[in-house]
Amino acid sequence: MTKDEKKPLEQTLGEWKRFIYNPGSGEILGRTAESWGLILLFYLAFYGFLAALFSFTMWVMLQTLNDETPKYRDQISSPGLTIVPKPHGALEFSLNVSKPSSYENHIIGITNFLRAYENQRQEYHIYCRNGTIFDQDDLSPKKACRFPLETLETCSGLTDESYGYYEGNPCIFVKMNRIIGLRPQGEPRIACAVKEGKDVKLVTFPKNGNLDLMYYPYYGKKLHVGYLQPLVAVQVMFLTHEQEVTIECKVEGSPNLRNEDDRDKFLGRVAFKISLTH
Amino acid sequence: MGKEKQEIYSIAVNGTKDIERVDTERSDEGDGKEKRKRHSKKDHQKELKKDLDLDDHKLSTKELEDKYGTNIVQGLASTRVAELLAQNGPNVLTPPKESPEIIKFLKQMVGGFSSLLWAGAVLCFIAYLIEFSKDKSASMDNVYLGVVLIMVVILTGMFAYYQEAKSTNIIASFTKMIPRKAFVIRDGKKREIPAEHLVVGDIVEIKGGDQIPADIRILASQGCKVDNSSLTGESKPQSRTCHITHENPLETKNISFYSTTCLEGTATGMVINTGDRTVIGRIALLASSLGHEKTPIAIEIEHFVHIVAGVAVSIGIVFFIIAICMQYRVLDAVIFLIGIILANVPEGLVAAVTVSLSLTAKRMAKKNCLVKNLEAVETLGSTSIICSDKTGTLTQNRMTVAHLWFDKQIYQADTSENQNDQIFDQSSATWASLSKIVTLCNRAEFAPRQESVPIMKKVVMGDASEAALLKFSEVIMGDVIERRKRNRKVAEIPFNSFNKFQLSIHETEDPNDQRFLLVMKGAPERILEKCSTIMIHGQEQPLDESTAEAFQTAYMELGGLGERVLGFCHLYLPEDEFPDTYTFDVESMNFPTSDLCFVGLISLIDPPRSTVPDAVMKCRSAGIKVIMVTGDHPITAKAIARSVGIISANSETVEDIAKRLKIPVEQVNKREAKAAVVSGMELKEMSPEELDELLIYHTEIVFARTSPQQKLIIVEGCQRQDAVVAVTGDGVNDSPALKKADIGIAMGFAGSDAAKNAADMVLLDDNFSSIVTGIEEGRLIFDNLKKIIAFTLTKNIAELIPFLIFIIAGVPLPIGTMAILFIDLGTDVIPSIALAYEKAESDIMSWKPRHKKKDRLVNHQLALYSYLQIGILQSVGGFFAYFTVYAVQGFKPDRLLYLRPLWENGILNDLEDSYGQEWTKYQRKYLECTGYTAYFVAVMVQQIADVIIRKTRKNSIFQQGLFRNKYIWVGIASQIIIAVILSCGFGGIPILNFITLWVQYWFVAVPYAIVIWLYDEFRKLLIRRYPGSWWDKTMYY
Repeated sequence: MTKDEKKPLEQTLGEWKRFIYNPGSGEILGRTAESWGLILLFYLAFYGFLAALFSFTMWVMLQTLNDETPKYRDQISSPGLTIVPKPHGALEFSLNVSKPSSYENHIIGITNFLRAYENQRQEYHIYCRNGTIFDQDDLSPKKACRFPLETLETCSGLTDESYGYYEGNPCIFVKMNRIIGLRPQGEPRIACAVKEGKDVKLVTFPKNGNLDLMYYPYYGKKLHVGYLQPLVAVQVMFLTHEQEVTIECKVEGSPNLRNEDDRDKFLGRVAFKISLTH
Repeated sequence: MGKEKQEIYSIAVNGTKDIERVDTERSDEGDGKEKRKRHSKKDHQKELKKDLDLDDHKLSTKELEDKYGTNIVQGLASTRVAELLAQNGPNVLTPPKESPEIIKFLKQMVGGFSSLLWAGAVLCFIAYLIEFSKDKSASMDNVYLGVVLIMVVILTGMFAYYQEAKSTNIIASFTKMIPRKAFVIRDGKKREIPAEHLVVGDIVEIKGGDQIPADIRILASQGCKVDNSSLTGESKPQSRTCHITHENPLETKNISFYSTTCLEGTATGMVINTGDRTVIGRIALLASSLGHEKTPIAIEIEHFVHIVAGVAVSIGIVFFIIAICMQYRVLDAVIFLIGIILANVPEGLVAAVTVSLSLTAKRMAKKNCLVKNLEAVETLGSTSIICSDKTGTLTQNRMTVAHLWFDKQIYQADTSENQNDQIFDQSSATWASLSKIVTLCNRAEFAPRQESVPIMKKVVMGDASEAALLKFSEVIMGDVIERRKRNRKVAEIPFNSFNKFQLSIHETEDPNDQRFLLVMKGAPERILEKCSTIMIHGQEQPLDESTAEAFQTAYMELGGLGERVLGFCHLYLPEDEFPDTYTFDVESMNFPTSDLCFVGLISLIDPPRSTVPDAVMKCRSAGIKVIMVTGDHPITAKAIARSVGIISANSETVEDIAKRLKIPVEQVNKREAKAAVVSGMELKEMSPEELDELLIYHTEIVFARTSPQQKLIIVEGCQRQDAVVAVTGDGVNDSPALKKADIGIAMGFAGSDAAKNAADMVLLDDNFSSIVTGIEEGRLIFDNLKKIIAFTLTKNIAELIPFLIFIIAGVPLPIGTMAILFIDLGTDVIPSIALAYEKAESDIMSWKPRHKKKDRLVNHQLALYSYLQIGILQSVGGFFAYFTVYAVQGFKPDRLLYLRPLWENGILNDLEDSYGQEWTKYQRKYLECTGYTAYFVAVMVQQIADVIIRKTRKNSIFQQGLFRNKYIWVGIASQIIIAVILSCGFGGIPILNFITLWVQYWFVAVPYAIVIWLYDEFRKLLIRRYPGSWWDKTMYY
């Protein structure tokens, strides 16, 4: 009963002070300097040991990996689709033709993205045989296939540096995620369609949105230097002003590329929205 | 009427003042009450003084009839009964006020960690609302988490409540009494009604064996004797008559109290008080108004909760600030805060502790300790002083023949519980005579129909000494009743306190011997007076000086042992003076009662239970002080204390020293005496300081001739020494002391209901040694709780570190909140309970009791070792598993650093890994869940090692035996099975975030588990090797 009585504040303060530094026993925070030294030394040694243990196990684990291909690829059996340019936030473009600031970033984004595809950067790339898987498992170093920008025609930026944005017919580039060792079956192509909205025409480059098999398989960053993944450009031709459309692109024509996953909305497909004003 | 009664019966139960002051204050009742309230809060030396303002014992029958509106012959009219019943309520004691069930339930849900979890849940909802206000399609994850948290709080609360209720029910069913009946005269007719229907003014009839159904004023009595032990603790039968014998209502013989028992005879009485207004009722009320101290384990758990909550809140706040400084969004910072709180709180611990305590409670119940309050289980273990009753607890509670003296020699009798070997020399002719007297001069008889019962267990009708002698002779000589028949009794003078002897005259069984035999027993000095000869080896010899001296020495010696000594003598009446046809008249005593032949002495004692000396020894080696508190005479008390070892063989009291050195008691240095025998009178004179001194400087203390109220003073004195005090008691008057004690122990057989109500524990066999087994269990559970907590706390760090690294190094989150909950409430629960089954590491009864304030359940060694060593080791192991999963899938550790903003970006669906592959958000999420699962499994695997190392705190696992506690293996199996089910079965449920994990990932953390085990063996080895060293002090928890 008496234990519960509150101690006066001064006493509590005094106790705290004595806890922080006790001049009698030379204790700081309840321990003498020597005791603190010992305990710090112990923890230094203990954590040193732990760090060594961790480093050693990590080293052993990393030894089992190779630098070229990851050990397992089970979690990315099928590639996702993404678009360039990427609007900020959600996949929604709001473009105002008379306001260049609404799309300047996109143009810069596309230019930066396509820089890797510039012809002078493809000097050492080889011309590959269209329509067949370019198997080079035994080759070293691996060769990268040429992807001529010309295939993208009006969206290539060669003729129109604004990729159609000035005219209000923006180009959107669709690419399929790189996955090491992926060999698409059939004749994969990107098919885009208008889901919502009307009075728009979609033009795909190259025609049919073909993804040529010669670009597959991919051998990884380290082995496959200079690899260029095939692109498909979609030019959205607005027939009237003040439009809002939702477009969905899907990988089609290949049995092993999935495009209907319930949970992964970007597995083999991508949907985006464009609202255009003048 | 009601008002008037209140005035008459108002009781002044005074907590603080002396008797004199009570007297002066009684005139001013209201004022007194107020003062009482104020004082009772903080006064230490309470003298519990009952002063019953009752004058019914002084009233004549007529006055009583008027007062209660009743008629002694006709009884009450039924109309009046109904009226009174409605007005005063039934004649039952109101059970001590208990908080309503719903309050108990809610209490479980706000105490301890629950408040932290509530805070977490609220934060979840806040986080969702912030998100929702920004984006209508915000994910519901936070809401789910909040709901889950609330469910966790409610479920664990319900579980704790259920456990608590279950253990309370055991006792409730136990104390439930068989409905009592009472014979009452109403409307001129006698009938039997349930005792609770009695009202004031009822005329009741009582007979031997009944419990008095209310406070009654005796109107007529035929040899009525009552046992007031439930009220006063004194078990000596007291007669009841219809005459006032004392001013004090408690002393007078014409009032009989509720709950005392009528031993023999019959009586008629008028009910003057019912229910709570009875004397017993008022004491019970006082006991329930005494505040109950918090149990030591409750204090410990509170202390522990404070530590953990402190860690959780401070880390939470520090990292909240860090997160804000690192320019995380407030919403994210809040989510981190939730994670940190969740990781820190051992959600499953409350359940594990409750289950462990109730398991121990069950185990104790098997050993005859019934625990009412779960927490009392541990209190018993930390007990440092036991104040024990003598009668019934230390002793067998029955008189037994201890010594015999004949042929100038003392013989020892067997006093064990079954008395099967009486080893003293029975060849002497003197013994033949003595045995004859013992058999014949005895009125006690066995109750009928118990032929199959062993002799020592048979019920005897008659007084305790006579019963002892009856059993004694039955054991040695066989059928006593038959022998009595052969020696027909022709006359008898029963024992009375004036004569102090008992006499009977018998025909002898020898048909050739026509003499009558006069046998007599009684107070030795009285018997000796009547003798002129003494029998030595069957020969009558004149009683000379030397024989008388030998008698005196033996008498003193036996008396000094605290034994009740009886003298026996006989005389064969000469045949010529007392022929066959002689009529003996006990009134005129027409036969000789002097010049008899002294045969021998027999001394009786209530012997200690045979298990008690061992138990006391155990207590002593366990550093527990055993104090005997008894109402008995100091000499008897001291003798029993010596024989059970409460006063050890070689220790002396102040008086002993004085006697040995032949100096006055005052000159003895009190510090020299280890033992002390203090009488109630001396105690009354003592100041609290003197009592403190007594308790500190004497290790072996006996309080004799104490009133039950003085127990309270003794208990408080002990508590001033910071001791954890266990008190045994059975009487109603013990209940305040039982309540005040840290652990009150009531006796199952002898205990009154009030005592059982006030106690925390009930000893089913009334045996002191059961307390010791209880202490052992209590100590064991304290040790095991340490292990459980250490086990549980360890993984909290392994759950916390991921959040910290996540915030600071920006890696994808290594473990999700759901996985944390599944560790805390899934895989870890059964192993932690299994630790409760762990056997003691060494002889726990050779340790000193833990110091209430110094030896904490969770000390800094435990916290540091669990948090900063094993916990960190586990986190490292977990991170190793985490990095492994990411690396083999393509994200090497260097890629993960500060990847978080990109990793969690919902529209970034081509995040590049270390190999140039691109991942969609969902694929990353899936990988993240694989990481959660891997980390979860890693923690689970290391917790297997943890539960194994926690089996012991000092010994090697191999000393303890890996397989001795099978429940540990059940626990380990449960860990694995739950993890497998979660990983395989629930892989499909999105919010749980578990993934079916490949077999190889399950073994990633195994090396770390082995390291944990090796490191702990190393720690224990050094502790064993270098006791008292820096290592021992730092690493032993």
